Amino acid sequence: MKNYLLVLLLSLPLTVLGNTNYFCQNALDDIPIQQGGRVMPLYVHAKESIKFLTGKSSVGKVSAVEAYCLLSIKGFGLPQSFEIQAPIEHEKLKDFLKLPDRHPKISFDQLVLKKRDLIRQYQMEKEESSYKKALNKALNRVKIYQDIAAGTNWTLAKPIDNKVSWQPFVNFFDAQAVMAQVGAARSEYLYREIVKSRDYYAPINGTFLLELKYAKAHLIGWALLFTLLALGAKVLFKNPKISLGFTIINIVILTVFIILRVLISGRAPVTNMYETVMFSGYGALLIGMIVGHFKKEFIFVMIALAYNVLTLMMLIFADGMLNAHISPLVPVLRDNFWLSTHVSCIIISYGALALSWILANGIIIRKTFFSISKQDENYYSELIYTCLKIGTTLLAAGIILGGVWADYSWGRFWGWDPKETWSLIVLCIYIAILHGRYTSWIPNKRFIQLVAAAFMSVMMAWFGVNYILATGLHSYGFSQGGAVFLFSFFAIQIAIIFVGSNFGKKKKIG
Amino acid sequence: MWKKIEKKLGNLKFAVVVIGLFTLAMIVGTFVESYQGTEFANRLIYKSVPFMILQFCMFLSIYCATTLRLPPRKKLYGFYLIHSALIITFAGSFITWYAGVDGNITLYPNSPSKKISLSEDVLKMSYHGQGKVVTFALPANAFASNLNEVYQGIALNEYLPYSESKTQWVANTNSQQGSDQGLTSSSYFISNSNVSQEFTLSINPAATEFQPATEMGPLSVYYLHQSMAPCFQETNPSGLFFWDSEKNICFTPEERKIPIKEVNSKKRFLALKDEQGIVSVYFPEVSPWPLTQDLKNIQKSNTRIFSKRVFQEKPALFLFGKKLAFFSDEQWHVQQISKEKSIDLPWMGFSLSLLRHEHALYPERVPHYITPIQKNNELIRGAQKALSLKVQDKSYWVTDQKPITLLIDEDKVTFEIIKKSINLPFEFNLTRFQMNKDPGTNNPASYESFVRLFTKDGPENHHIYMNNPLKHRGFTFYQASYFPVDDTNFGSVLSANVDQGRPIKYLGSLLLVLGAIWHFHLNKRNLNKLKLKRQKVASA
Repeated sequence: MKNYLLVLLLSLPLTVLGNTNYFCQNALDDIPIQQGGRVMPLYVHAKESIKFLTGKSSVGKVSAVEAYCLLSIKGFGLPQSFEIQAPIEHEKLKDFLKLPDRHPKISFDQLVLKKRDLIRQYQMEKEESSYKKALNKALNRVKIYQDIAAGTNWTLAKPIDNKVSWQPFVNFFDAQAVMAQVGAARSEYLYREIVKSRDYYAPINGTFLLELKYAKAHLIGWALLFTLLALGAKVLFKNPKISLGFTIINIVILTVFIILRVLISGRAPVTNMYETVMFSGYGALLIGMIVGHFKKEFIFVMIALAYNVLTLMMLIFADGMLNAHISPLVPVLRDNFWLSTHVSCIIISYGALALSWILANGIIIRKTFFSISKQDENYYSELIYTCLKIGTTLLAAGIILGGVWADYSWGRFWGWDPKETWSLIVLCIYIAILHGRYTSWIPNKRFIQLVAAAFMSVMMAWFGVNYILATGLHSYGFSQGGAVFLFSFFAIQIAIIFVGSNFGKKKKIG
Repeated sequence: MWKKIEKKLGNLKFAVVVIGLFTLAMIVGTFVESYQGTEFANRLIYKSVPFMILQFCMFLSIYCATTLRLPPRKKLYGFYLIHSALIITFAGSFITWYAGVDGNITLYPNSPSKKISLSEDVLKMSYHGQGKVVTFALPANAFASNLNEVYQGIALNEYLPYSESKTQWVANTNSQQGSDQGLTSSSYFISNSNVSQEFTLSINPAATEFQPATEMGPLSVYYLHQSMAPCFQETNPSGLFFWDSEKNICFTPEERKIPIKEVNSKKRFLALKDEQGIVSVYFPEVSPWPLTQDLKNIQKSNTRIFSKRVFQEKPALFLFGKKLAFFSDEQWHVQQISKEKSIDLPWMGFSLSLLRHEHALYPERVPHYITPIQKNNELIRGAQKALSLKVQDKSYWVTDQKPITLLIDEDKVTFEIIKKSINLPFEFNLTRFQMNKDPGTNNPASYESFVRLFTKDGPENHHIYMNNPLKHRGFTFYQASYFPVDDTNFGSVLSANVDQGRPIKYLGSLLLVLGAIWHFHLNKRNLNKLKLKRQKVASA
């Protein structure tokens, strides 16, 4: 009843405004909202929601916050011509929705009308298929859209009995207080009420304001810029000091990024694919700096920077596969000590092994398309060997720490879970290579090829268990998609080794 | 001789081959686990004899590689430490495997328990008369196997660790063949544009796993003797008919001129006199059986009464093998049905066809081995374990989902496939299970069991949750799972564990990491030498 009254009251002055932004503006960025089990700024939630719905972080010139706010206002049943469109990529779904090939988009209001048909299509699709996944994604989008457009997705903090109560947007306002306002003042009054929510909640827990700064700082973009500058300074200008300077700035940026994520989430940033990819690049950079310093060899920093370019580009461009969203942990992971030791150790070991992989591929490519002296090949092989030793030691330590944690929380040291088994497979593969290398059983050329190939096992343990096997107790790290990325990686890596080994043979015969 | 063997086993090539095979087995294991489930992967690979032999070969390789390099050399201190650590870890793991306990204890709210279920399957035979219980360990195989065991005339034959029951049609025994030809069984196929289902109904008493009726949402389906079909065609005003199960005939009261009267409560009643002159009184709206003076069913009567009116209010389908009847458009329809001719039913666009109709055969559910298939960490096919028994020349199947009870030498014996269990020397009671959720969501944030432990020194209260196990008298209890008991209460599953090898494994692990660091540190000079060599070549 209260809602109906409110709708009636609101509709009088706002109908006159027609298609204005009402009180929706970017100044709402710092309004706290409770969603997905934690409190975050509206800026973060609106951006993630609009991106999920439309595939983009804004709707034309309308920012995500404004768009989210305008959609939420629909919950009052007000006349609104603002609409957003869902991108439809799947050919069969495009055909089903009768969308043109040139502009495969459909407005959400139309998609809502077709919800029943989509559900029926989903039910009739018995086997798992790309069409079924596309239908599922479309239905999830419809669900979120309906939640936002009903005004129930946006929650606002209100003090009730001296406690924070999170009220849906449609229930948040006091109907009598709204009635006391007249004309345009009513719109301003509503805005002031929403801002009050922030002023009330911020002194209680201001972490969400930190998240706003974090989200607006775009630190990963800056880190990529400085990584490229560091590489450019060394490769183009042959100036290792400037390169080192940029590298240190990069490390500082990534450290700030990690600290902010720790402060926001209250845990080590190693709990999903996005964080592990970032952390492995960071770990590789630290190892590159430390080993480079002690071995007096700048090339360690260079390969760490090259690896960082790959990881940072993945974080920025592969956002469909790597989700930057910070979400609460599943119960079993809620132990900061083990999380920050076991997972960090494993991920840094992957970073160290990635350095060996980049060096190995670098040598193969250089040998195949350019030339390399025997001394250089021996020397670089030794650098690879150094990376392998660090990587395997850290990996062994990480596996053992995992075993101890599993023993502590699940009651068994080892359980042949796919994630732990693949970690052991990686360790066994690298140990076999190290044995062969240590006793000179494996010659240099074969050693380099094996190291390049062995990183596929790391990728399988890291990505493959989540994207291909998708089972086991480590199921909290699971993600959708990514299999295409992994198979492409395998295909490219095998092609490099194949071309490298065949080219070498021809050269010998010649 | 030993020196030769030691040299072979300590050889690097042997080590690489063993590591390679071990790695390959693990790769296969992870894919098997992904598609067939954890238990199947354990049975096929990780806990199989060949895999254990492979691990033993690794142990031998590590051991011999170490002893071959004795007496100790300073350069190899890291190597000795790594290999000794691996041997220690192997020893710890062996102790855990040999002497450890790894099971689960299921706790219902406020009901004490001390039983730990282990992972091994056993056949439990309970002799009710003698109060005797006998258990047989069932093999932890991945595939079907023949036990070839006999115990007091009971033969334990084929054991299927993963199975699915399929319907088989078996011949009636001689005694059944000579009796009623109307004891039929039939399979039907019902479908509309959205759903389809095959179902089998039977009135043959030998078909113990098949019922003569089923429910499909609001639709009730009844499978009746074929001799009742003609009376559904009758349009007698009372809508009543009698069925004589001895003579397999049906007749209406109007046909026999039996008067239908009403009691004060408007309920109808009839009196039927049989050939012996015994009068039975029927209240068709109350029961199909004749009733005694104090309104109790006389179930030994051969004649029953049916009121078709009772089934006119809600969807009801009557099947008689090759005929069917239903009420629609204010009248009863009786039609022939076959595989070729499907009948359109008056509900939700359903149509029905007859797949099979038998009177000399009856359906039986027989387990068949199937490679399991898992989805979302649960087996969706092959989750049933089944064992074939032969008692007094007759074969039976017992499954973990359906125990059987047989009369053997005038003693009732129940056969069950269950998990092996042991009893704790103390008792547990779940006083409360708490599941906290992430704010504003239904996502669990923590699972917590509040338990009371009954020890010799009196009761103790403990709080068990993720990463906070309870240790008591050598046992460690971990929060593993939970299950709803009713709308408000939950039960809890704790994993219970005894691991005597734990400190040895921890020591081995610690030494392994230290050894790797040491080994790595000792090899640092090599790089400097190469660097100098490279610089010399470059300057030359």
